Order: sequence, then C-alpha cells, then structure tokens
Amino acid sequence: MASGYLVNRGLLTFGIHYRNVGRSTTFTQIREKKRWLKSYMYTMEKKRKIEGPPPPKPRSQKPNWDYHAEVQAFSCRLHENFPLELLKTAFVNPCYMESEHRRRQELGMDAETTALVLKGNTELHSLGSQFTAGFLADWCRASFPSLHGDGVAAVAAHLSCAAVVCHVARNLGIEDLTMSAEHPVTDDVLQATFMAVVGALLESRGAERAGVFLRDFVATQLIGKDLFDMWTVVNPMGLLMEELAHRNMSAPEPRLIRSAGASTVLPLYFVGLYSDKKLLAQGPGDTVIAAEEEAARVALRKLYGFTENRRPSDFSTMELQQQPAKYVGSN
Amino acid sequence: MTSRGTASRFLQSVLQNGVGRYVCQLKRISIIFSKNAQSSLGIREFIEEGVVDYAKRNPGTVVYVSPNTCRIPKIVAEYLNGNVREETVTSKTSKEIAELITKLTNQSGLDIIRLRKPFHTDSPSIQGQWHPFTNRPPSVGPIKPPTLEG
Repeated sequence: MASGYLVNRGLLTFGIHYRNVGRSTTFTQIREKKRWLKSYMYTMEKKRKIEGPPPPKPRSQKPNWDYHAEVQAFSCRLHENFPLELLKTAFVNPCYMESEHRRRQELGMDAETTALVLKGNTELHSLGSQFTAGFLADWCRASFPSLHGDGVAAVAAHLSCAAVVCHVARNLGIEDLTMSAEHPVTDDVLQATFMAVVGALLESRGAERAGVFLRDFVATQLIGKDLFDMWTVVNPMGLLMEELAHRNMSAPEPRLIRSAGASTVLPLYFVGLYSDKKLLAQGPGDTVIAAEEEAARVALRKLYGFTENRRPSDFSTMELQQQPAKYVGSN
Repeated sequence: MTSRGTASRFLQSVLQNGVGRYVCQLKRISIIFSKNAQSSLGIREFIEEGVVDYAKRNPGTVVYVSPNTCRIPKIVAEYLNGNVREETVTSKTSKEIAELITKLTNQSGLDIIRLRKPFHTDSPSIQGQWHPFTNRPPSVGPIKPPTLEG
C-alpha cells in the first residue's frame, strides 16, 4: 500500500495519473491536447459515409416507451372505448408471433418456459376486413345513389386498397403500436392491423360505432378525388349509351360545336353531346375523338352525381358521445 | 432570402382531420430535465404544478417525464404523422412552459414553413381551365352548316 502511494506520488510530478481499476487493468489519464480525436472522428465519418445511415429503429426500442399507456392513449385519442386487452390482441400479428417464438427457441430455453401467451389478430382481421368491404360498399351506394354498380364497387375497392388504408393507419399512429416481425412495417401487415382494429371495435362496440369509425377516417379520403381516377372505364361512350338506354332517353348525338387552330400544333375541339336535342355535356380535346370521349366522361359524371361541385357528403350526423376522459398514471 | 426561395406548402390538415371527428395530433410528449441544474428550475416547477393536470386534460397524449443529467432541458413532441419537434426550455418559467406545451398540443405536426395562402381548395377554378372560347358569347364561332351563297 505504502509503496503504491510512493509510486503514485513519484509519477504525479510528471503529470501522469495511474489509477488501479480492478486487479490487472490500469488506465492512464493524460491531460493534453487530444491529438487522436481528429483522426478518430474522421474515420467514424468515413465509416458512416460508406455504410449509409443506420437502419430505422422501431419506436418501441427507443427511450420513453410504455406500451400499455400508448395503447390506452390510442383508444382515448380516437374517442373510442376499446377494451384494452382486445385492442392489444388486434396489434399482434402472426408474423410477430412466429419470429418471437423462433427467437426464444434460439436462446436455448425449453419449450414450456418460452411459450407465448399471446393471441394473434387473425380472427379480428378477417372480421374487420369483411365488415369494411361491406360497409364501404353500402356507404358508397347510399352517398351516390345513381352511380352504376361497377362504379360503386370500384370506389369501395379504392377506399379499401392498401395505399389508402396504409396512409390512414400511418397517420393514426398504428405503425408504432403494431407488433411485426419486420421493421419498417410492411404494407400488408399494416393493412391487416388496421382491419384488426376495426374488427376489435366491431366486436366490442357493435356495427354502428365501427361504421362511424370507418366513415370518419376512411371515407373522408374520397374528398377531392375524381371518379375516373378510381374507376377505369375504357369505353365511356358505350357506357353512356347503356346508361341513357336504361333511363329511357334517346342515344347521345355527338356534334362538333367549336374548334380552333386546326392546322397548328395545339388544335382544340369542343364536342357537345345532345340527347333529345338537349345539350347533355360538352368536353374539350386536341382531337375530335378525344373530345368526344371527354364529353362522354363529363356526361357520365353529371348522370352519376359525381361532379366536382356536388354537395359534400355529410360526415357530421352521428354525434360522438364524448366519454369522460380517463387518466391513468403509469405507476 | 426572398419568399420565393424559401420552402413553402399549402394549408392542409392531416388525414382531413376535423371533417369526421377531431383527433388531437400530439401523440406523446417527453419532458427531459435535470434534477438539480439551475436551467431546469422552471421545468421542475412545471412538473410539480402543472404536468398532472395537463395529462388529465389530454388523455390522448402520453406524457413521459424523464430526469436526466443535462444542462439543457428539452420538450420532445411527437406527432401522429411521424414528425418530431424538440423545444429547448432553458431558463424558462413554469408559465412560459405551460404556454409552450399548449401550443405544441394544438399544432398539427406538419412542417412549420411559409404557407402560400391562408386558404386552400382542391379545385381552384370555378369556371374551369382557360381555353380560347372562355368569355366569348356562344353566338361567336359555333360551327354552323355551310350556307349556300350566290
């Protein structure tokens, strides 16, 4: 002890501290300009440049994450009264269960202690997706009563397609809560999770609340969309003739009503469609055929009540019962 | 820099918020402060006085309070659309912090950049796109059957 003290004292005069850490390791602490720092930082920067940015981490692996509180806040935020256990089940995807099971097996523990006590969302998913398809078709039929059956199906299919549903789910914070094998969460898994959430709402609160939920979050995505962006019609003129025959009106008669610059690179033709000597619609185009097709599309939009200046759908009839806000501390 | 050179966006809302029902866009807020630093005095006071009331008033927002050894206390707000905003609250009083948190709660989480106009519509033109026949009386220029003259 005494000798160690003497050694220390002797070295102090050179400005060097030796400290005993444990039995065999000693580290030196030198007060000087850190000349190693520049090359170290440079190497790290180079490494980062070669490797690219690190892969994104799921939110649940970052600091400040309490799953129970998050799920509860999710339910409060949407003004819905989910039973929390059911909602948590809705977030557990089968792919997560598989990967978690495999991971536990790889850790080398016996099957009994590693058994998962989670229930997957497969049932809720099928329940929710069935209900969603039915509800959206009904809603479209009710909102656009004069729309053709194929059109209703196309609009409903657009609303329940992966792109729209994933957009909604990402902006409702479902992505953070989803238990998935991969990160970032793939579109299929996210869509399945959203449908499972709808299924959980349907099972716990009934079809009416689930319908209002879908109307508020999914059907609002129809705002600002054009009919023929969602519904591909190859031959609008044929469809228009069919529709007019169905409504006992005479067949449309296309007429060139205006034209300009026919010999230039930017010709313009206006074609009007007449039925019973009344103007149904007119449309522009750079060839006569394109103008006729456009006019047919305009006429179809008018017949189906899907024009841009239609009366907006009513999203406010069902008043929300505001549940008394429940606050629960984490500890 | 002129206003043309700066980033800008249109007035918009996340997911047509408010058309169906209003959803508070702030999903979680973490308050990072030091237990004994001078600069965290105001935020410690806020945590004693106001944070529980805030959490009760906003059940849709998860509030994390994490003591940390740091000189610069921060408030990290995460929004539903994935954006994260960090606000430093060095040497701010409890009242100022309460105001700041209220502001963060009411925001939509979209980028705070110049708005091109204080209003927005998806179909900006009532009469449609301009074409050579806009504002011309219908009697001018319609194609008629050729008249036989002479």
